Amino acid sequence: MLIVDQVSKVYRLKKRVGLLRSEWQDVPAVNKLSFQIEPGKIVGLLGINGAGKTTTIKMCSTLLEPSGGSISVNGLDVVKQDRQVKSLVNMIAGGERMLYWRLTGRENLVYFGHLYGLSSSLLAERIPQLLKEVGIEEAADTPVERYSKGMKQRLQIARGLINDPKYIFLDEPTLGLDVAIAKHLRKYVKELVQAKGKAVLLTSHYIQEVEELCDDIYVIDKGRLIAHGTPERLTKSLFKESTLRVTLPQISESLAEGLRELMQSHVFSWEVQEAAEEGCELIIRSEADVTSPILALISSNKLPVLKLTSEHPNLEDAIVYLAEGRSA
Amino acid sequence: MEWISLLWSEIKKEHRNTFHSNLVYFSLLIWPAIAFITAYYSFLPFQRGADSPLARFINPDHLVLFLLTGYLGYIFFWCLVQSAWQMSFERQAGTMEMIFLSPVNRLAFVYGRSFSALAEGVWLFFTFAVLAALMVNGIQINTWWSVPLALLVLLVSAVVWGGFLTAAFLFSRDAGFLYTILDEPMLIFAGVKVPPLALPVWAKMISLCFPLTYTLNILRKLLMEKAALLEVAPQLGILSAVLLLLILLTAVILVLAEKHMKQTGNMVLY
Ligand SMILES: Nc1ncnc2c1ncn2[C@@H]1O[C@H](COP(=O)(O)OP(=O)(O)OP(=O)(O)O)[C@@H](O)[C@H]1O
Ligand SMILES: [Mg+2]
Repeated sequence: MLIVDQVSKVYRLKKRVGLLRSEWQDVPAVNKLSFQIEPGKIVGLLGINGAGKTTTIKMCSTLLEPSGGSISVNGLDVVKQDRQVKSLVNMIAGGERMLYWRLTGRENLVYFGHLYGLSSSLLAERIPQLLKEVGIEEAADTPVERYSKGMKQRLQIARGLINDPKYIFLDEPTLGLDVAIAKHLRKYVKELVQAKGKAVLLTSHYIQEVEELCDDIYVIDKGRLIAHGTPERLTKSLFKESTLRVTLPQISESLAEGLRELMQSHVFSWEVQEAAEEGCELIIRSEADVTSPILALISSNKLPVLKLTSEHPNLEDAIVYLAEGRSA
Repeated sequence: MEWISLLWSEIKKEHRNTFHSNLVYFSLLIWPAIAFITAYYSFLPFQRGADSPLARFINPDHLVLFLLTGYLGYIFFWCLVQSAWQMSFERQAGTMEMIFLSPVNRLAFVYGRSFSALAEGVWLFFTFAVLAALMVNGIQINTWWSVPLALLVLLVSAVVWGGFLTAAFLFSRDAGFLYTILDEPMLIFAGVKVPPLALPVWAKMISLCFPLTYTLNILRKLLMEKAALLEVAPQLGILSAVLLLLILLTAVILVLAEKHMKQTGNMVLY
């Protein structure tokens, strides 16, 4: 279990004032953040740019020390017992850095494996398997500089798994990847968690990814926790209503009468807008799904449906809404 | 065992990272050999007789050997300046952060790196120097083990020096500045081509700051002056003290810098 307890991070920066004088400036990045990750779970950390996601991930992976609060991994403190923690965790960031470009994929993995004190025989067994799992076995003996972005990212993931970590921290792992590769990686992460019981902390700007993968989501803004819940709950609690838009040639008197009658039995609101093309648009907002009674009403009025769309709120709307609500 | 495989993979990494073109051989052999030959010929036009100023400090007949040992030591040390300088690229490439993410023993890493850089960087000139020394035929040793002892002294002090520089360069924004200090001044003050004894007092003080000075002193005593172990014992003692101090400094810099990095998210200390 990874426990983040009331963690804060303030970066202290030296700021030049004048030629020789400099003074300290405090940049708060994370503010009294608490969350937990259990083995076999994927936890998402969401927030707009500069919210403090990378800072949090680096604190969990021992690269940064919290200025307040504590983080423990399987009961080990990330500051006091950092060497033991390092063997249990690993971090994977998006992008093409953090690899030796002149070395081959395999050589990179051997090198990083030795940094973890793993024996050559263990590595000889683990590396081909990892290369296969991330799908770059054919390029194993090609220098990394000849890899495509996607291949580098896959190698990055293999590197992050070299010490068979119990906790994996993924910082925008699919940044700049094409849809197919990103999908493959998502599937792989899911398998790791389900089959091997890893615990994952994920940040991403691709909301769909977070919605698809995460069991639990923490939304932060300016380093503070502003919302927490499963993807569905989070969107539902923020946006109760879904919207149904029906384009019709006209709204007849009898249809309007029917709608008024329908409102006795169903809870919804409606309005009419001039449609861009022809006819007009009937907009229905409701908590429960009222699509079928509305359509039945329209067909009993013998009106042709020119266009029909149904919008459910998604997580992306939720995040933007939350962040805007904060700064407003 | 793990230590050895770490060392071995460090050597392989170093090899891949630096030995990607034949041009490297230029810096491995041609450049040091040219430097050595230039130094020799720049002495030639000057008086070298038994009554010359030079003769007060070294036997003019042993000039070639003097320069050869000097340059051998210099190449060992310079090779590590370069390797340490490469460290700032690891910081930029982000691989540094990955190294610090791992539980690897920091001191072991730093010395493993120095050792592998040395193994790669000096063997060509080393072979050249040994062959040249055999040809000029002026080596004066007390017993056979003076040679392995001299090499051990050179190797150990170079590795310790390299570890110190690696730590220093790692956390400095201004690696170029150190690079400049360590180039020509080390050549002059550490006694590579001029015996430190011939330097004025202020310059002698500076030469004491370069560990290479102590190493070269022992190297020449063992290989050119027929010194027995007892005769070099005081110098060995001083060198050991200097090296211990360097190791201590290296350890302190590494701890401070990692602490600093964890607090500011920045590896650059100064
Ligand atoms: N090394 C540093 N020194 C000083 N301030 C920093 C440092 N790293 C980050 N910050 C500041 O801390 C805050 C949080 O940054 P962080 O990188 O954690 O955000 P993020 O949520 O990962 O953003 P993004 O989505 O852009 O990656 C920002 O205001 C940033 O300017
Ligand atoms: Mg980030």
